[in-house]
Amino acid sequence: MSKQLFRYSEENKEKFLESDNITFNDGSVVTPEEIWDYLTVEGPVKYPGTYEINLSQGNRDSRDEALPTSLKTHYLSLTFSARMEKAKENGKTIAFIQGGQAVDPYTAADTIALRPFLVGQWYHGREHGNDIYKSVLRRKQSKESAFHDMSFEACQTGGYEHVQVGDLPIDVVAPYTVLRCSDVSYGVEAHRHGPNKDVKLINIDYPMRHQADKPWAIEYFARNLRKLVKTLDEARGKTTTEDDLWRAIKLHNEGRKLGTELADLWWSTDIPPTNSDDRGSLVSLANLDMHGDVQASLSVLKEAKKIIAERVKNGVKGHAVTDNPKRLFILGSCVGINESRSEDAGAIVVGKDDQWSHCTKLVEEEGDPYYNLAKATLEYPYEQSIEKRAQWTIEQIKKSRADGVIFIHNWGCNTQAAISRPIVDFIKRETGIPTYIHERDLHGLRDEQEQNRVNAFIEML
Amino acid sequence: MSIQTLEIIRKRLAERPEELSQARKNGQKVVGWTGYNVPEEIIHALGFIPVRIAIGGDDRLVEVGARYASSKTCVFIREIVGAFAENEDPYIQQTDILAFDATCLQNFRAAEVIEYFFKKDVVVLAVPRNFAEDDAKTYFVHEANEFTRLLEERAGSSLDTAVLAESVALYNDIRKTLKSIYIFQAAKDNVISWEEVYDLIQAGDLLDKKEYLTLLQQTLVELTELQQNPVIEADGDSRIFISGSLIPRGDRKLISIINSVGGRIVGDDLWSGILPHIDLDIKEISPAGVALAYLNRTPHAALPYLDLESDRRLKKLHELLSQSKAHGVIYHTLRYCDPFTFKAKETKNVLAKSGIPLLEIHTEYAGSDYEAMKTRVEAFVEMIKIKSEIVEEEAA
Repeated sequence: MSKQLFRYSEENKEKFLESDNITFNDGSVVTPEEIWDYLTVEGPVKYPGTYEINLSQGNRDSRDEALPTSLKTHYLSLTFSARMEKAKENGKTIAFIQGGQAVDPYTAADTIALRPFLVGQWYHGREHGNDIYKSVLRRKQSKESAFHDMSFEACQTGGYEHVQVGDLPIDVVAPYTVLRCSDVSYGVEAHRHGPNKDVKLINIDYPMRHQADKPWAIEYFARNLRKLVKTLDEARGKTTTEDDLWRAIKLHNEGRKLGTELADLWWSTDIPPTNSDDRGSLVSLANLDMHGDVQASLSVLKEAKKIIAERVKNGVKGHAVTDNPKRLFILGSCVGINESRSEDAGAIVVGKDDQWSHCTKLVEEEGDPYYNLAKATLEYPYEQSIEKRAQWTIEQIKKSRADGVIFIHNWGCNTQAAISRPIVDFIKRETGIPTYIHERDLHGLRDEQEQNRVNAFIEML
Repeated sequence: MSIQTLEIIRKRLAERPEELSQARKNGQKVVGWTGYNVPEEIIHALGFIPVRIAIGGDDRLVEVGARYASSKTCVFIREIVGAFAENEDPYIQQTDILAFDATCLQNFRAAEVIEYFFKKDVVVLAVPRNFAEDDAKTYFVHEANEFTRLLEERAGSSLDTAVLAESVALYNDIRKTLKSIYIFQAAKDNVISWEEVYDLIQAGDLLDKKEYLTLLQQTLVELTELQQNPVIEADGDSRIFISGSLIPRGDRKLISIINSVGGRIVGDDLWSGILPHIDLDIKEISPAGVALAYLNRTPHAALPYLDLESDRRLKKLHELLSQSKAHGVIYHTLRYCDPFTFKAKETKNVLAKSGIPLLEIHTEYAGSDYEAMKTRVEAFVEMIKIKSEIVEEEAA
């Protein structure tokens, strides 16, 4: 049986061509026409899996083609691997980082910072012509090899397989050791026994337990950030100045502000201006790291904010969103539900704590940039005590007017799993909103069993 | 041949919960502590009664703990959380304050969960991941001072340096005596087994420290009378060294399996065994001095170290293997114990270079894997016995 493939409709082309260009870090520009051409000609050949209409992946037979930034984020995803290869050819330094952290110091040191998901995206994007099942099989094979070298109980192998067993030219493995994931710091250590001796290793040590209230913890993390920049400088053979860091902080503050404004706009109306997937892909631009190019992310984010404001003003409803959907807030690291299938069941995802908490913390723009950055980082709501984190989450739930909360943790993610129950317990007690905890596998297709539970929860709401 | 003092210790352990109860009625406070880097001397010097929270082997409590801390947390932590939920353990019942550290992040999470659900008063000592760096040590000194301040608040008095010096001296004597006793179990014609010494070490987690030292010294006197000059040498026994995740009181599954198939345990580098008692050198009598001495010991596997060649944990493992003349390592990993499961294959490869075989046993507190474990351990013990016999024959 041949696979059904999605295609962008020609009737939306003219409108799309009127939208903005994307500007990249190196000053190059890609026009809407070039993007359209890629998405309709080159993309389907290289990455047929992403065009597959497959419920397991959540693909629809139509997408929000009237939302130009949706096409642009798709373009940036599909071209990601090729862009990283090109960046390496041009001598750019590339670092592996943790998810849920800001990347200001990496930007200051002219380094591309890639979280685990993006390292995988780069590696898997190198191979063309795969359908969904081949892509998933390939991912599972590489993960198996990492499990063998690390631990089969790891949720997150931190791209070990790509950097060590594969030949991905990552220069530095330099994540923050935040509590959202303990596997990543063990993963950094695992590189010491791998065959790739060229990759530099450093853990940026994130203090714990009321860390934001302790001046010595902030000082310590600031010193760690200085070491990080020094390590990145050694890798690229250049020196980062404090002015470079100030510029990076200001740039990222702009991204964080835009992302927050975009989220507030989205939440301000009863009619969801986009579907869950588009909301997530636009809000996640706020950290500017999502597509391996901070300027590209910023330019799409700026355009997205204008479009969402217009949609909110005109009461435009997002593509495939049902009337009066039940609003879900998702908690947990590296997780999500099958958004389109959940929308089909009458829900919409209105927010997540992960990939959002760090975007809500602006860095002060006067004083010692390292100290300010350290202070803002130690204040990430996601990394606070149970009560503080839950209290912040309640604020987000109220802003987004969520009807239900799902805390998801991946199999093997001890640090999030351990506090899932107290967090939802606190939220339920304080708000009365229904919650449930959901365990899933990070890798592979999302299965029927998982969707059954989500659908049952939506039905209950 | 039995060591009489060991019987006294068993009796005193049976009496200890009631003794703690009486002490609390008399106004003393019990601090339940857990964590590799908790400086117990500070707790002791502040007049608290320190009791280590380390229990295992009860699958039912693990299930109870999973209701609060998820089924993905390591079984040891789940059991601790379960024990607080049920509050039936005689030592947990007696705790007024808890002192946890964040060496292992799951231990830290346990502190948070116990604090949240069971409303316990928990003091946490944060521990840097980059423990070997000077900056990290500076940070840790601040944390140790803060830890002390929080305990002082609860004690209602300040830490007296002279009292701390007494506590340090007492603990140093305990450590020194334990190390002397430990040699006897690994010796030829040993009069005390590793299992007995292991129980002896863990008795110190619960007993009054001064009394414990006296009992240790009595044990040492008895041992010296029975075996004046203990000599450790490789022999035809299957000499097994245990490494990996801790084996707390209540959990003797793996140990009993090794014994049942004819293996002789001659050493360990367990957090619940001899390891915390060696290489602790307190250079300055202050909270900072004590805490730094803890941090500078052989590091716990939960703290990442990025250079394999200079890893002190692996160096210490080699050193202890050499001292104990062990023929092979059984590497014990508990379900979801990331600090040790992540390093299992690496440790095996490192030891293989020195010709030392390693068997990883991954388990939890359920009894369902008993026979499967036994089959694997039996094959390993048999293999190293044959190997050691061949070596012995060749040497002869």
